[in-house]
Amino acid sequence: MSILDVYGLKKIYSSRFGGDRVTALRNVTFHVEKGEYVAIMGESGSGKTTLLNILAAFDRPTNGSVILDGNDLSKIRDSAAAAFRRNNLGFVFQEFNLLDTFTLKDNIYLPLVLAGRPHREMKDKLLKIAAKLNISELLEKYPYEVSGGQKQRAAVARAVITDPKLILADEPTGALDSRATDELLTLFKEINAQGQTILMVTHSIKAASAANRVLFIKDGEVFHQIYRGNDGNEQLYEKISDTLTMLATGGEKSEK
Amino acid sequence: MKAGLYPKLALEGILKNKRTYFPYVLTCVGMVAMYYIIGFLRYSYAVANLPGSETVSLILSFGSWVIAFFSLILLFYTNSFLIRCRKKEFGLYNILGMGKASIGKILFFETLIVAVFSLLAGLGIGIALSKLAELGLLNIMHGSVNYAFTLSPKVLKMTALIFGVIFFLLFLSSIWQIRFTGAIALLRSRDMGEKPPKANWIFGVLGALILAVAYFLAVTIRDPLTALALFFAAVLMVIVATYLLFISGSVFFCRILQKNKKYYYKTNHFISVSSMVFRMKRNGAGLASVCILSTMVLVMLSSTSSLYFGSESVIHSRYPRDINMESHMVSTEALSDENIHALYDEILSVVKKHNVTPKNFYHYRSVLIAGLIEGNRVETDVSKLNNFDTDTLSNICQFYFIPLSDYNRIMGTNETLADGEAMIYAFRRAYREDTLCFNDGQSFKIKKQLDKFIKDTDPEALTASITVIVPDLAKSVKELDTLADYNGDKMTEAVWTFEFDTGVQPEQQVQLYKELRETLRTSEMYEKYHMTSLQCESLELERNSFYSLYGGLFYLGITLSIVFVFAAVLIIYYKQISEGYEDQARFDIMKKVGLTRREIKKSINSQLLTVFFLPLVFSACHLLFAFPIIRKLLTLFGLDNVGVFATATVVSFAIFALFYTAVYRITSNAYYHIVSDTK
Repeated sequence: MSILDVYGLKKIYSSRFGGDRVTALRNVTFHVEKGEYVAIMGESGSGKTTLLNILAAFDRPTNGSVILDGNDLSKIRDSAAAAFRRNNLGFVFQEFNLLDTFTLKDNIYLPLVLAGRPHREMKDKLLKIAAKLNISELLEKYPYEVSGGQKQRAAVARAVITDPKLILADEPTGALDSRATDELLTLFKEINAQGQTILMVTHSIKAASAANRVLFIKDGEVFHQIYRGNDGNEQLYEKISDTLTMLATGGEKSEK
Repeated sequence: MKAGLYPKLALEGILKNKRTYFPYVLTCVGMVAMYYIIGFLRYSYAVANLPGSETVSLILSFGSWVIAFFSLILLFYTNSFLIRCRKKEFGLYNILGMGKASIGKILFFETLIVAVFSLLAGLGIGIALSKLAELGLLNIMHGSVNYAFTLSPKVLKMTALIFGVIFFLLFLSSIWQIRFTGAIALLRSRDMGEKPPKANWIFGVLGALILAVAYFLAVTIRDPLTALALFFAAVLMVIVATYLLFISGSVFFCRILQKNKKYYYKTNHFISVSSMVFRMKRNGAGLASVCILSTMVLVMLSSTSSLYFGSESVIHSRYPRDINMESHMVSTEALSDENIHALYDEILSVVKKHNVTPKNFYHYRSVLIAGLIEGNRVETDVSKLNNFDTDTLSNICQFYFIPLSDYNRIMGTNETLADGEAMIYAFRRAYREDTLCFNDGQSFKIKKQLDKFIKDTDPEALTASITVIVPDLAKSVKELDTLADYNGDKMTEAVWTFEFDTGVQPEQQVQLYKELRETLRTSEMYEKYHMTSLQCESLELERNSFYSLYGGLFYLGITLSIVFVFAAVLIIYYKQISEGYEDQARFDIMKKVGLTRREIKKSINSQLLTVFFLPLVFSACHLLFAFPIIRKLLTLFGLDNVGVFATATVVSFAIFALFYTAVYRITSNAYYHIVSDTK
């Protein structure tokens, strides 16, 4: 069953007075099944971030539609977008985006507090998740007191605590060292194994090779995709690497 | 390195950080200007010509210290924010290889540039506005207006000195902060929350204690002169206590809120409480400053406006009738019926010439003497005063002996007194004894306590008084008449009081008054009627001088209030702006996680409501406790009308609260715009 359907997405940025027009997304169509773990790859400027912003309802497409679990995102009013996000989506950002005024615990509680959940329920959920993410000891600390990997785990905890339909991860390993990267990818795998749908935008081959399917975006279009099938991480890594090389050389040719 | 490098880097640093530097420089300029204006008024000849100028000058000198003190607090507060924002920049310089000494040089030039600019601009504005303030004052006091532009070199020097010191301290504190922070910590310092001050509870308890003592003093003070002496001490104590309480209290308060899970984990409270904890020390200091400034504004407005609007009541209690005359006699014998009647006819003949018939008139004889009172004993003999407790002024009492016949005539009563009996009317003190005994000799049995007399003796007198109605005046004061003071002068004074309304226009009243003075205040008249002096006062004439005094004070009160309100608004504005820029990124993240615009507004309101109205509530509390002491102080100015002062206090508070709410609305809008405008 498909949880996210993206049809013919097009996004054109124009400067305020309608001068320069930049096409960020030309025609993006793809579907994500429930429980899938999808990575989206592409070079800088390929439209990855634009795509993610539209999926997260931060931005609106010029054309096309995004349907999440039967809800058309373009039909959601701006005022309802925030509530929609916190009820349906979980976010993991490259820069963690933890609030330095809160302890890790309160950071993780944030979406539930915004949703007005009772404290008892929040506490129960947190205890389970914190144990799973191995951050139980750190809950009373402030973000500036812990390492990057620990921050990112807290951010993951914040993303999953609402049981979102979809987790959107924007370069989640971008600010992490290799050990913390490995830990995070293992974590994503485990969460995914429990049925959580994850959509990750990355340009790290290592991160992408942890996913079950990899989409490649080039010049605002889905250019190619690779399914893991029965491949292990290393094999998938090779395939992705090859594809990127091909994209890069092919890309050079296509440019006039 | 080139010589001009550091000044250039410093200037660039200021221009690049316009957004944070602008409110800071504005604050500096504002404080310098305000300090100059207050100092200028203090030495202004317009103020020196005010009746009661010593008190005004005292208030103004206190005011200028207050401004200096607040400049220090306020500029430290704003500067710490500035340095906080810039630590990242300095950390980067440091990592790129610039030594701490060089960073210090940049900071030095930055401080110098800001200091020079603020002093020049501030003094310029101050000079311009101080003339305006002086003109306003002269206008109200009906003084001769002099449009010449005057400078006060003394105050200029003083301002430059005070602010020079403040800027130097600011520089030292910045250096200190940069010096002892590592490069990496500098880079990240903006993200760190404030650590709660150690020994927080000690500050809290200390603050509560000091406040309790100050409140106790304010409430228990009995006589106005002690009130004046203790007032400034009490004010200082309240200031210190407010700072201690706000700084420790806000931490304590936030911690309690945070512990209460049910309260804390609600959308509105969650965000507001956590950001209050994040900057609790600054919050405490800022709020305490706002609270103290508000209190000062309220005290000044309520007291000066009650003097102004209570003028009529003061004038009428001081001058009960249109024309008020008091003739002081050579001796008690000169109060004889024949002498008084002759004098009375003499006065009436002058009055008749002006076609005036005295209305509501009354006259009475009295003999007065001052003494120390203890229990039912009164000592008026200066040679025996050592036996009495002279430590407190509250023992001094003025005694007025008035014959029963005069009392019955003017009050329209039919009281009788036997020999050795007396009725008394106590003013500004209670007298509960059954007898009243003078110098262990002459003793009176108190037959009745009177609750009013035609005139509250002298409302301007600070000491208490007791009016003693006796059946036979000459006999009653016979012993007292023999007493002499250190100079050998008689201690008693025999006075005949005659007061009447004229029922004619003010100009005619003044004419009559002048004529009365000319005719009666001559040595022939004095000799003829056995007088030592004759006072004659016209209510109309006095009204003008009262209004110019109280108008002048009221004007000064308003000027000082504007200055203090401006300082408070600056603090509030700066707090909002600086926190807005700090919170911008936070609200951005929260929006991403799913905070709606409505919720942003709601959470901001919840935070601001808590933070904003706390100072107002506290200043209302301070004002309430200051009420008794200020009431006492107002009696020094002749105002003894509680109703007027209470009304003035309530009205001042209402106006101020309205104004405060308006400031809150405007600045919270500014905050909201900064926070919600993310891209």
